[in-house]
Amino acid sequence: MSRSMGNGVGSGVSELESRLLKTGAERLALLGKHAERLMQAYTRDDVPLEGLSDGALRKLLAARVLWRPDEQSGVKLSPKVRDLIAEMLADETRRHVNADVAETLELIRTQVDSYREARSKGEHWRQEQQLLRLRQEVDGLNGRFADAIDSLWQRLNSDFGFVSQLNDKIRENDRAQKQIVRLLDGLALIDFDELIALVGSDGSLRKLLISQLQNRLSHHYTSLREVQRRLIELMARFRKQQARSRLMTGMAAFLREHPGFVPGNYAQRSEVPALFNRAAPLNPAAAPALDHALDTRVLAELLHELPAPRHAAQNVAVANPVQPAEESLAAARQQALKLDVERFYLAVLDQPPAEPVSALAYLQQSGLEWADEIWLFQVIAEYQGLPRSEQQAFRLQQEESKASAFNDLRLIHDVALAVAV
Amino acid sequence: MIEHGPLLERLLAGDFVCAVSDDNAYRHLSNEETREAIDAYLRPLNRRLASNEDASVYFLAWRQLDDTAREQLSRQLADTLNSLLPMLEWLQLVQEALGRDALAAPGDVLKPAEFSAKCEDNQSLRERLERLATDSFFGSQSDQLDAQVKQIFKRLKEHGYLMQPHSERQVFVVTGKMDYLVDVVRFIRDEENLPIDADEDTGTQEALL
Repeated sequence: MSRSMGNGVGSGVSELESRLLKTGAERLALLGKHAERLMQAYTRDDVPLEGLSDGALRKLLAARVLWRPDEQSGVKLSPKVRDLIAEMLADETRRHVNADVAETLELIRTQVDSYREARSKGEHWRQEQQLLRLRQEVDGLNGRFADAIDSLWQRLNSDFGFVSQLNDKIRENDRAQKQIVRLLDGLALIDFDELIALVGSDGSLRKLLISQLQNRLSHHYTSLREVQRRLIELMARFRKQQARSRLMTGMAAFLREHPGFVPGNYAQRSEVPALFNRAAPLNPAAAPALDHALDTRVLAELLHELPAPRHAAQNVAVANPVQPAEESLAAARQQALKLDVERFYLAVLDQPPAEPVSALAYLQQSGLEWADEIWLFQVIAEYQGLPRSEQQAFRLQQEESKASAFNDLRLIHDVALAVAV
Repeated sequence: MIEHGPLLERLLAGDFVCAVSDDNAYRHLSNEETREAIDAYLRPLNRRLASNEDASVYFLAWRQLDDTAREQLSRQLADTLNSLLPMLEWLQLVQEALGRDALAAPGDVLKPAEFSAKCEDNQSLRERLERLATDSFFGSQSDQLDAQVKQIFKRLKEHGYLMQPHSERQVFVVTGKMDYLVDVVRFIRDEENLPIDADEDTGTQEALL
């Protein structure tokens, strides 16, 4: 409060003012003196009274720092002090948002009337006092909106970090949105047409109540709308997270309870659901190609960069002319024999069933140049080499005789192969 | 089309493309013209571009379904179903171990070391992790906690649910394929009328009744 306003003021007034200042300062000092005890009370239900003298308690009660709801209950922190601490700490769990527009408007109307009255009577000091109170009231209104908006932004930017559970965040978000609605309702109460009529032609009032206020309130309005939009977005995100969390937890619980659960085979439906139509992976492969002149140069460079293979030098002088080894020749003949025998088997399949074909007769007819013994040996070997199921498709009869009357060794003269019936 | 070469290769290889796994490619795919061009290119390969409902993740689908494709899809569906419970249990474990209030979502950062440390201090988490790691989907052979966690993260990376921005740093980011998994779970719930609740107002109890 400015001391310069005391000019031309009676001594009674200045005495009142100085007593006010003295008491106010004493009582504010109480807050500092009992700071720790008050903070304990802030986090609890009651004020801890151990070690507090009766005199001190009386002072705290008189200053309305503390109050006692009734005789039986304990001493509590007064709501205003609680709000003050919450504001100072930006403690979003306890911070109140309350713009009290209706009451402020009521006050402004009365004060404008008092101001007018003082002016018409030429009481300059009272006029100045009224203007000061009006200014404080308007600043207060502004400050309450600014605090509320600040508190909303704090909560929004921390993703409601002061509560840990998603459900609590959803509730807090909901509460914040309701506060915004109340603040916006409060702003709507301020009718500038009414205020213009109220201030009339007075320049200082017009500046204070119209131009300044309008400017600030429209700023608050924009901020509130922005916070509201962001809160709604955040709420949608919270709800989505909550739904996801519940869905996944629910499905996990369901699958644990029903280990044998198998959903339908969506892949065999006429319309495969989009989520389950995922094409098989393809690996794009490429190999060096020499049909582009430009690429050839690049490939040649790459080739030069390859590390040189470390081969031992070969002595060309002692190299022998290439000759297929004996072994590989024999293998080739064996392979040819096998193929011819297979053709014999195929020929038998073409015969009517149960009509045996002599292996030797086939050999002569087809003009193949295998020795009889080798041919028969391979036909029998092929039969024994067949898988059991295929073996059953054929019947192999051996035409044989004893080596002599006294030797039971059996000599095979021919075999006849037929398709089994 | 040549500028989309690497993107096409990734898609053809069966990768899921999202804002986390490939921000640049994902932005290209958000453009309808690009999507149409890619679709035209894929036509002779009997493939087309597909996405989940929110279009937060893209992948390739068959254009025409023949018997071979259906067979492949059936096998794939069976694989997905086999991985479902281990995946869901892992998600729950992460949520509980790290004290998070929501499911791991695309963009979330996960550190195996942090996860190990939390599980080490808590016998029940430790046991659940052990069971999970030795599940055939994760397939850990080790009885060491760190090795188990490492194996789990490795498998999740192979399956495209996580990506590792720097190969030398043990920091992973959840990809958009997680959204795909959520969509699959939601689809199965709706399609099979499972008594699983996800809406705000009806409680689980109520839904079960």
